[in-house]
Formats: sequence, structure tokens, C-alpha cells
Amino acid sequence: MSAAVTLLDPVEFLQPNRRLFIDTNIFMDTDPRRAGGLKRLFERGQGTILKNGNPIVVPTKVVGELTKQSRLDASNETEERSEAINKAAAALTFLDSASKVGLIRKDLGDDTNPYADDLFLQLFERFAGTYEMCLLTHDITIKLRVRLLAHRLGKRLVVGVLTKDGELQVDADQMLFDRGMRKYARHESRLAEGSGTFKDESEVATLKPLLDDFRKAFRLRESGVNLKGRVAKPLAPKRPAGDFHQANPFTAAAKIKPRDTALTFTSLPKEGDQVMWESAAKGGKFVLGPLLGEGGEGSVYDGGDDTVVKIFDKDHVTQHRKEKIQLLVGRGIQAKGMCIPTAVVRNGDGEFVGYVMPKASGREFQRTIFNKRKFEKEFPTWKKADLVDICISFLEKVQYLHSMNIILGDINPKNLMIDNKKNVFIIDADSWQVEGYPCPVGTPMFTSPAMLGKAYAEDLRTMEDELFAVATMLFMIVMTGQFPYIRTGTDGDMVQLIKEGNFAFQYENRNNKDQPDGDWKYMWSHIHKPVKDLFWHTFHKEGKRYAKRPTATEWLEAFRAYRSYLGDKRANFDPMSNDVYPIRNKAFRPDTPIQDCPGCGRKNAIAGIWNDASEDYFVPRQCNKCRATGPQTVRPAGPRRMPTTPAAADCKDCSKSFPKSQLTYGRCPTCTTKANSLDPGRLCIDCRQPFITHDHIGWFTTRFLDVPKSHAAIKTTCPPAPTSPRRSASASNAQQAPMGFWARVKSWFQGN
Amino acid sequence: MARLDIGADDLIDNPTPRVPVSLCLDTSSSMGGSPIQELVRGVNLFYDAIDEDDDAHDSAEINIVEFNSSAALVHDFASIERLQRITSLAANGLTAMGAGVNLALDSLEKRKATYSGSGVLYYQPWLVLMTDGAPTDNIESAVKRVVDLVDAKKLTVFPIGIGAGADMKTLARFSPHRPPLRLDGLKFKEFFEWLSKSVARVSRSTPGDTVKLDLEGLAGWAEL
Repeated sequence: MSAAVTLLDPVEFLQPNRRLFIDTNIFMDTDPRRAGGLKRLFERGQGTILKNGNPIVVPTKVVGELTKQSRLDASNETEERSEAINKAAAALTFLDSASKVGLIRKDLGDDTNPYADDLFLQLFERFAGTYEMCLLTHDITIKLRVRLLAHRLGKRLVVGVLTKDGELQVDADQMLFDRGMRKYARHESRLAEGSGTFKDESEVATLKPLLDDFRKAFRLRESGVNLKGRVAKPLAPKRPAGDFHQANPFTAAAKIKPRDTALTFTSLPKEGDQVMWESAAKGGKFVLGPLLGEGGEGSVYDGGDDTVVKIFDKDHVTQHRKEKIQLLVGRGIQAKGMCIPTAVVRNGDGEFVGYVMPKASGREFQRTIFNKRKFEKEFPTWKKADLVDICISFLEKVQYLHSMNIILGDINPKNLMIDNKKNVFIIDADSWQVEGYPCPVGTPMFTSPAMLGKAYAEDLRTMEDELFAVATMLFMIVMTGQFPYIRTGTDGDMVQLIKEGNFAFQYENRNNKDQPDGDWKYMWSHIHKPVKDLFWHTFHKEGKRYAKRPTATEWLEAFRAYRSYLGDKRANFDPMSNDVYPIRNKAFRPDTPIQDCPGCGRKNAIAGIWNDASEDYFVPRQCNKCRATGPQTVRPAGPRRMPTTPAAADCKDCSKSFPKSQLTYGRCPTCTTKANSLDPGRLCIDCRQPFITHDHIGWFTTRFLDVPKSHAAIKTTCPPAPTSPRRSASASNAQQAPMGFWARVKSWFQGN
Repeated sequence: MARLDIGADDLIDNPTPRVPVSLCLDTSSSMGGSPIQELVRGVNLFYDAIDEDDDAHDSAEINIVEFNSSAALVHDFASIERLQRITSLAANGLTAMGAGVNLALDSLEKRKATYSGSGVLYYQPWLVLMTDGAPTDNIESAVKRVVDLVDAKKLTVFPIGIGAGADMKTLARFSPHRPPLRLDGLKFKEFFEWLSKSVARVSRSTPGDTVKLDLEGLAGWAEL
């Protein structure tokens, strides 16, 4: 093909031996150059579709994505996004009516696969031998994948977009490749600048080998875009340059340096002594200001101009420190909230003795937010959202350092400071692991299971070790100092707790008998679900991220979502979720009654407890605090108190104690009823009726699978809709026999 | 006497790992007069120092066991916030050291069980044994328990002799790895200052870490 693009008639893919699919982004396309293309497609193709009984396919996954998009609040979005969101809603209405008249088939899908892209690929691979297929999509990645698949299988699989006139526009191989390269460069440059998200990372990881294969398969020339290394000029520098200075990253693959050795020196300067300084660009002399403090490794003096000077003590003037600080200084890194060395300091004889760094403000986490008593004293007005802001501030810095291939190493609550404006400061930069210089110190509580027992100074930490410390720190910020592996029944051996990986906080339907006493479980209960998921999977030995921990970028994305969730009154329906110390579990649903406690007057202290038998909420008469300490007013009859019997056990769902004889599969009668009842909050995307039981949901969520979205996806059928007109004959086919996904696809392909 | 309120919230709301310290004190008749007064002053000073230290404040939990003709709990474990200072201790009777140490160990075990049952992290406990004489009861079981715990790294013990009459040989049996210390005169103040600093030092470490005690700091009050 010599032309950059080819125009085809999409109607050819509506012939009996061919199939046409549409991806989500086509429905949400807002480009005026292509406006009206979908409408023209249906106008051109409807006769053929109906004649051949071969509707255009919009898989359930795509319908699901459109549904999700259409529910977003468009008011705060850009004009373009808001138009796209409106388009999604319009598309759903269109799909409904088009499927009723047989132009669209939207009941095909496989909900076990979270990605529509993969679904298309699976489908195309499976049926490439039987049919010629075409996918309409704007997604370059999937276009490349399908094109490559067609090449590999030697079959006709076409990917393209619609023109204004409803024609199928197909890119030539070279053009598709060049567009792929530009997409890659775009994501890569965001990562290089440190503003990348998880999506950028995954796109880069997918595109790099894909483009390489693509180029080889089609014998294409190298694109003008450079695939190797960091992109020289970022296309869109998003990060304000004032916060984090962009410098060349350090080498990530350096081998560990030979063991550290002490350096000789004539004297260590003190307050009032003249010293020499040398930054990346300049040098000079100055006099050490007043002594500000003494630490485990040296003394800190005022350096004037919002700087301080650390002078190491005699045991810490070492070769590693000198070389590491020279490396950091030489790179000229300046980043807000990080006390990175800016100049090497030498004594009067020119010997290395310390360094200059910016002054940190605020106080150590350990003395401010890692203890309820101190926290309430220091920051009495702070809410959960403020703690989430602290996590974000911390993560932005960690993300930047990681992009520079710096490993912080000894992340602990004494190396992090917080000021009353929620700015996080990272101190102790001279302990960071840079190139082959290890971080010689560590804190067991933040040490990964793999690193425990090793000598900090004699091993380089891996990024996984680092990400363990990052996860632990985030958990301890949100939980104001509680350790993730805290549980009952320990003998105080923290190393053992980390090694066993028994994260005891209640997660979904798991047993929680080891949860610590006190309000910690309520704090945990209110954490935003996606963050909770990440915590659980990172800390629990059976979690999916236990061996491959979330990166700073992933956490950043999750915590930013947590932040907007807390600010969104509709999504965050429980007013107690923004409390730092909630005193009850999170409310079940938006309609759960929430009341102040009549006993002690605490706000929102009582939330209704759903009772499936009565299909109503039971509202306790007093809050948890009043129940535990005895009411200040009149003691009610205590209807919920169970008689104490020796053979008692905790219900695995609600963890209240019950006589064993009342439990069924570890659940109390109420929870058994609940487990077997349909979740009223989840509606089938086809019939808009509840369709899946709580127990069944638990089965998916404990396996970290997406919960299915329709009757069809769990191999049940939609109940007949009482108000809507009777379904057409072809639609009722789908209702009769619950068939497996592939069986349904097959029968459809065979013309049923 | 010391008074305290037992509060469960106090125990579980604080995520800081605890250092339980049991002060096992000889209040036999020979301690009467200035020794017991100095001891009370020293203990209160210890409490003050713990209270003032940012780290030890949240970590240390202290109880006092006294022994004379029998053993008794002066007050059970509590955080420093809940501890009132002791006003006096009465000195009379014999020196039931075995019973005193056993009671102190029992109280430590009970406290550890409380930590474990509530989900509170802790450091292995400390036992401070102070006497000015020799035991008048059987100490064999108490010695064995202490030695076993110390060997298993589940207890740090500080046997302290008060004055010239203290039976250092007996005290040595309670401390398999470190010789007992004799208090220089009635320098309780210096000893308790040192003790509070050591508790603070431990509470700045992580449970499971080996904490180096600052033994040089002992020179002021002890003669070996």
C-alpha cells in the first residue's frame, strides 16, 4: 500500500460471512471532522444487516464502559470531556433502540476479562479462520495488535474508523506504525517528566515490544520518533518546573560499591568556624551559624538563607558519604520539600566534613501524626482528606526521586516532616541509595520481608524493598501510626509479623478474628475501596500485589482518586468517612439511616444495620462508644446482647459472637440471609434488575475479579420486564438457555 | 499510695509499641528512714522523666511490686498519663524476694497477654529488682524463671543492691549475663535518671532491635 489511508465500504463487513464490531471510543468521538459517521453507517448498512440477520456487535464490555462514562458528573469536566460523556449517554439510548430492531447485538461479552481490548483480540484470534472481521476503533494500540494478529494468522482482520460519510478509513502500515510511535513518545515523555500515571506506564510497557514486532513484521523503516531512551523534549511538560527540577536520572543498574571506609580529617568545624562550600556551579567560604541540633550522625548548624549545614561526627565522615553527596550535589537537583544536598562542605584544610541543604519546616511524623493523642493536639481540625493530602504530597516526592533512580531506603516517621500547611519534607538525603552506594541504615518496621535479616549497609535495596516501605508509610499515615501487620495474638516480634504476611484487617468476606481492638477497624472500614484493595493485596501474603508491589505512580493515582471521592458528596455518602477517627463501620449504602447518638450527642454516630429478613434497617439506640462504656443516661434493654454460651463463635461476615449452632458456613442467620440475597445496589446492565447475590459478589471480589454486570454474565437470564413490550423473537433466544460465552458466540456465528 | 484509672482506650488507641517496666522494690524494715524516702523520691523522678520524654511518654508502662514479709502490687501497669506519683511506701517486715520477683514476673506475663489480646505491639519487658538485704524466702523458682526468660531474650533485668548490706551474690543469680550493680550511697536519683533515658532509648528503637544500653552512663551511681 502506498497511500497513507484506504477507504473501504463498511457494508461489506455486514455480509453473512463477515462481522463488524464497534469499540467504546467510536461512540464517544467528538471530532467534528467525523460527525455523523455512525449515523451514515447505519443508514447505509441497515438493509444488509436485516437481510442477513447479521447485526453490528457492541460487546457488553463496551456497553459497560459507556454506562460507566455516562454516569460521570460532566459539570466539572472540560467542554470536550463533557461532550464525550453526553455522547456516551446518547449512545446507550441509541444502542437500546437499535438492538430492539435487530441492528445491534450487545449481549455478547465476557466479564471475566476486565479489558475490552483483550476481548476483541481473543474473539478475532478465535474466529479469524471462519470470518472476515472488522473493528471500528480509535485506539492505536488495539489497531496495532489486530493488524499484527491478522499478519500472523494470514487472515483478513481490518481495523479502522468511520469518516463523516460513514466510510471505513484504514491506515496504511507505515502510517499506523508512525502513529503508534507518537503515542508511545507521548506516554514515555510523561513518565520521563515524572508526571506519568499508571496508564502511561502500562501503555509504554505494551507499546514498546508491540511496535518493535510491528516494525519487523511489516519491514517498516524506523520512525522519526526515537524509541530508545528518554525523549529529549517532552511534548507537554505538565509538571511546574518550580516544584521538581528535571535532571538526568542516576544509573539504576549500578553494582554495590566496596565497603564504606572512614576518611581522615584534621578537625570538625563548629559554630563560628569558617568552612568552604562547593555547589555544582560555584564555591566559596562562609561561617557556620548557631548549632541547631545533634543527631545520630552529626550536628546541624544554621547556614543562613533558609539552609542548614550538616557536619558529620567523627564516625560518619566516610568515603561513601563523600562520594554520594558529591553525586547528588553535582546533579544540581532542587526539589521542593526535599532536603537534597546543594553543596559539599569542607573544613579549613579542604577535607570533606558535611554538606549544605535546604532547611525543612515542620515536625517529624513520629511526633505529630503517628499517635492519636499527639495528632489531636497538633492538628485538631484536620480531617481524613488532610491525611490523604499528606499521602499525595509524600508520593509526589517519592515518584520524583524514583524517576531519578534514587531509592530513599530508610523511609520512617523520623525522616519525614509535616508542617501545618500539610507540606511533607523528606530529610536525611545522605542516607539515600544512589547508584552503587547503599542506604546504610534502616527501620525494621519498614523493612521488606526479603530485606529483613540482611545488613542494610552491605546490600543494595531493590525497588520492591522500597515499595514495601512506601506502602507501610502510606498505611501508617492514613491510620495515624498503626502498623499494617498489627493483630491480636502476637508476642511483640515485629520481624515475625512482617515475615508471616498476615494482614489482619477485615477485607471483604475474610475472617477478621485477629483485628486489633479499638477503633482501628472502623478507620480501616472507611478507607476508600480502591486504596483498601491496594493495601490488602500489598500486605496480605495471598494478595495479588504481595510480590509485585504498587509503584509510587499507582499509589498516587489511587490516593488522588481517594481525595476526589472524599470531596464528592454523592459518592462519599457517609459523613463519617472524612473523620480521622470514625467510631463505627462505614454505612452500608447511600440510603442507610445515619443519626446522632441520643446518649452522648456524637454526630452521625449511629448508622442503620441492614436486616435482610425485614428488608429494613435496624437502627441501634446508642452508639458504639455508649454501648462499650455504658450509657450516661438510661441503659436500654439491650436487645442485641447475646446470652453467653461456651460454644460461641464469631460470624465471619459481621464478626459478632453467636452460639455455634446458629451459624451456617460460619455465618450468623442475618448474614446468611444477606449472603444469599440479591445485592439491591447492583443492577443488571441489560434489564436494570438486581441479579447477583452478596455471596456471589464475594466470590469474585476475593479473587480480585471484576464483578459481572449482567444476568447473562453469570449465566442466568433476565427476568421478563413487566412494563416493557414483549421482546422480539431473536432477543428471547438469549433468555432461554444459559450458555457459556464461547457457546453463545459460536451459536451466533453459526447463524442462530 | 498511687492511684490510677484503668482505661482500655488508653491502651488500644495508642499505636506506639510499649515497654513494660516492673519495679520490684524491697520495702522490708531495714529500708526504713532515709533509704525508703530516697527511693520514693527516685521513683517519682523516674515518672517525671518518662512523662517529659516525647518518646518514652507513649511507650513506657510501669508497675510497682513491693516485697517485705509478703509481696504485693503497689499499682498495676499504666501509661504515665494515668499514673499518679507515689506519696510514700511503708518499710517493715522481712525480705520475701522470691515472692516479690514471682509476682513481678506474673504481672509482666499478664500485661504481655493483654497487649497480645488487644493487638498492641510491645518490647520485651524490663524488671528492676532493688534490695538492701538478703532474701528471707525461697528464691529458687524465681531465679529459674528470670534466668530462662533472660536467656530466651524475653526479659531485661536490672538487679540493684542498695547500700553495703545488699546480698550481691543473690542478686547475681538473677542476672546471668551482667553483674548486678550496687547503688553508690543513696543515689536513687541518678539511677532513675539513667533508667528513664534507657527506656526512652528503647522506645526510639523498633521492637526486636538490639538496643545498646548506655552502660557508660552507669559510672556516676554504681560501683561494681
